[in-house]
Amino acid sequence: MRTLRFSIVAALTVAVTLSACSSGGSGEGDRSISVGVTDPTTLVPARQSVAFDFSAAVWSPLTFVRADGKIDYIQAESIESDDSVTWTVTLRDGWTFHDGTPVNAQSYIDSWNAAAYGPNAFENAGQLANIVGFDDLNPEKGKPSTTEMSGLQLVDDLTFKVELKDADSQFPLQVSQAQTAMFPMPESAMKDFDAYTKHPVGNGPFEMDGDYTENQPFTVTANNDYAGDDPTVDSITFKPYTDLSTAYTDVRAGNLDVASVPPNRLPQSEADFGDSLYTFEAPGISFLGLPLWDERYKDVKVRQAISMAIDRDSINDVIYGGQFVPADAFTPSIEPGTPDGLCGDYCKYDPKSAKKLLDEAGGFDGAMEIYYPGGGGDDDLYNAIANNLRQSLGIDVTARPSADWAEFLDNRTAEKVDGPFFSRWGALYPSQQATLRPLFVENGGCANCVPWYTDEVTAAIRKADKDDDGTGEAYADVQDLLLEDFPAPPLFFETYSYVTSDKIADLPTSPVGNPQLTKVKLTD
Amino acid sequence: MTEQFVDQRELTGADANRSVWASLRSRPLFWICAVALGLLAVIAIMPGTLAGLLSTSDPRACELSLSVKPPSAAHPFGTDIQGCDILANVFYGARTSLLIGFVATALCAIVALVLGTSAGYYGGLADRIISRLTDVFLGFPFLLGAIVVLNSVATRSALIVALVLALFTWPTLARLVRSSVRSVRESEFVHAASAVGMTDGRILREHVVPNSLGPVLAIVTTMVGNVIVAESTLTFLGVGLRTPSISWGLQLATAQSYFQTAPHLLLYPGLFLTLTVLSLITLGDILRDALDPKGRK
Repeated sequence: MRTLRFSIVAALTVAVTLSACSSGGSGEGDRSISVGVTDPTTLVPARQSVAFDFSAAVWSPLTFVRADGKIDYIQAESIESDDSVTWTVTLRDGWTFHDGTPVNAQSYIDSWNAAAYGPNAFENAGQLANIVGFDDLNPEKGKPSTTEMSGLQLVDDLTFKVELKDADSQFPLQVSQAQTAMFPMPESAMKDFDAYTKHPVGNGPFEMDGDYTENQPFTVTANNDYAGDDPTVDSITFKPYTDLSTAYTDVRAGNLDVASVPPNRLPQSEADFGDSLYTFEAPGISFLGLPLWDERYKDVKVRQAISMAIDRDSINDVIYGGQFVPADAFTPSIEPGTPDGLCGDYCKYDPKSAKKLLDEAGGFDGAMEIYYPGGGGDDDLYNAIANNLRQSLGIDVTARPSADWAEFLDNRTAEKVDGPFFSRWGALYPSQQATLRPLFVENGGCANCVPWYTDEVTAAIRKADKDDDGTGEAYADVQDLLLEDFPAPPLFFETYSYVTSDKIADLPTSPVGNPQLTKVKLTD
Repeated sequence: MTEQFVDQRELTGADANRSVWASLRSRPLFWICAVALGLLAVIAIMPGTLAGLLSTSDPRACELSLSVKPPSAAHPFGTDIQGCDILANVFYGARTSLLIGFVATALCAIVALVLGTSAGYYGGLADRIISRLTDVFLGFPFLLGAIVVLNSVATRSALIVALVLALFTWPTLARLVRSSVRSVRESEFVHAASAVGMTDGRILREHVVPNSLGPVLAIVTTMVGNVIVAESTLTFLGVGLRTPSISWGLQLATAQSYFQTAPHLLLYPGLFLTLTVLSLITLGDILRDALDPKGRK
């Protein structure tokens, strides 16, 4: 009896130990990863603003821009045009949505019309603004009289034509991986967007598992019927965090596999993570916006002096842990054809020459107050710039945060700012157009980020849009014009940084700066 | 008659004061707190001069290349993320914190004295209205109320923050004043003063208020400490003072991101804040002990 009882106990102990082994940690065969995100609130691709990684997993774009700037065709077989005005999009045959319905030309036409339809008020509708008929769906007053853009024409089941308002050579880039308003939605979505945002159905390598509830983790699993390249992981769980510093700590503790690095963790991230820190070059650029409606900033020498008084290298080292790149052109260098080094001495820290330039311009009257959105973690950056300007130029400079982002945006849009201000733009496709148009064309997207709109620059951008052959060299003229007038000092080319747990061996990226979760390499 | 009563009262008053002082004087803790607060007061009055003696006198003379340096001879408290001297910033922070502490408490004390005395002395309708008003204010959760009000004002200078803090702290004190005044009002010498025809104003000024001040004084001292903590808390949460103000709360808020790599950013402002508040609260406790005849040994 005694021996029997002992052997039962022994057997139980062994069984418990074994099961503990098989369920604990990343055993073989576990090919799922978890990613820390900001709660997206909506998952409709034409509306999302913080669900890029989710969208990239659940949808396949028409085109995919690779790191070398070359275009891969994913859902599209080809996108062609003779005049850059009318584009013919041919889709691959045999692709389906996760609900089994086919992805055809009509899906794209319906999805784009729904995304552009004014009363829907989809946040990313602007991505479709250059299509003929967009204005009919977004009249200044009242309800639009039609629900379709006249610029979209069905040719056959897999082919449609897109007519643009202005010739635009960059169209194939505008339907690439991060332009989510261009993603297709199945017929069922158009009937009920409220249901669709809870359970989006796409055409990508992963499908939504269950429904999305605000502030709850949600999971996508690999779709076996996917017609494109198979993903390297079986499932991805997106965990919403209200504070990304917590996500960062969770990755360190091994409770989470991928998280982006919040600015206040950048300086310590390399020491914390070593090889598991990934810093991706991104098409983001920041400027020190100047209130050009104020007389004191009218002289170009004042603007150049301010630029030369900023010690970009030291700020980068101290505040961004050396992970950003001091800007020396008006577009991020990842955008093809960006003339690196264009800014020259005007973007180099030289307090003596800066002071001399300011004196030549007749000095600066009164105090200067840098205005930036509060609560975004930018305090250290703007305090550092204020210290730089105060000590180099002898002006009484302070930095003041707004109460929140909305207050800042209202004041900047209404030109109610009387000092230098926050100004940045993160482009969604790697083309100089994606940075120049929002910043330097009136109503281009970033209102008053650089409040300096001239016909000359607008015309030069339009011309380059038409002429560019994919190298981006056509935009060189625009950059020369900008350097001449120097409307705002460029500060940094941004990078997006991510950290990973031990489970991940390699985190690949694409030129939009986000990780490619479908191609993650796991530790075997 | 009048003369006799007044003389008698003044005698006991002076006596009481003398014995309070004797009780305080004999406690070493009182002297420690008094010296600490005295030093802080000197720092708050001339932060620049004193900081200049030890390192640099300008809290805004910052060199990014000197960012996050540990304490050294040139910078006894080290430098912060911007390369500014922490000692100079902590000294200037003392001025802001003490200013807010004293201004808010003074405002609060004035309001509490006026309302509490009226309620306690006159009673009746005035008492009912004022008591309900204090109940209403006490009903607000203090932090929540302060956050809501501070979020709705355009600029947040030290004075505005002091005003908001005073707005939410006066009711406790007003209640205390009221009950204190009520007990004094029932004293024989007040009845006597009233009987001989002294005006209400004179009775309040000469008899009621001076005799109710004891317990209030102890609480007021503690309150200065509490207000300083409240200001730092609000600032730390991002709803109190803002740059370019210099305050301990702001320094702590900035330091929290970097404290794993540079603990001295958190240490010095934290140390000064703790010492100040500890001194004030201990002093308040000692005062209360000394003033409370029952608690006195």
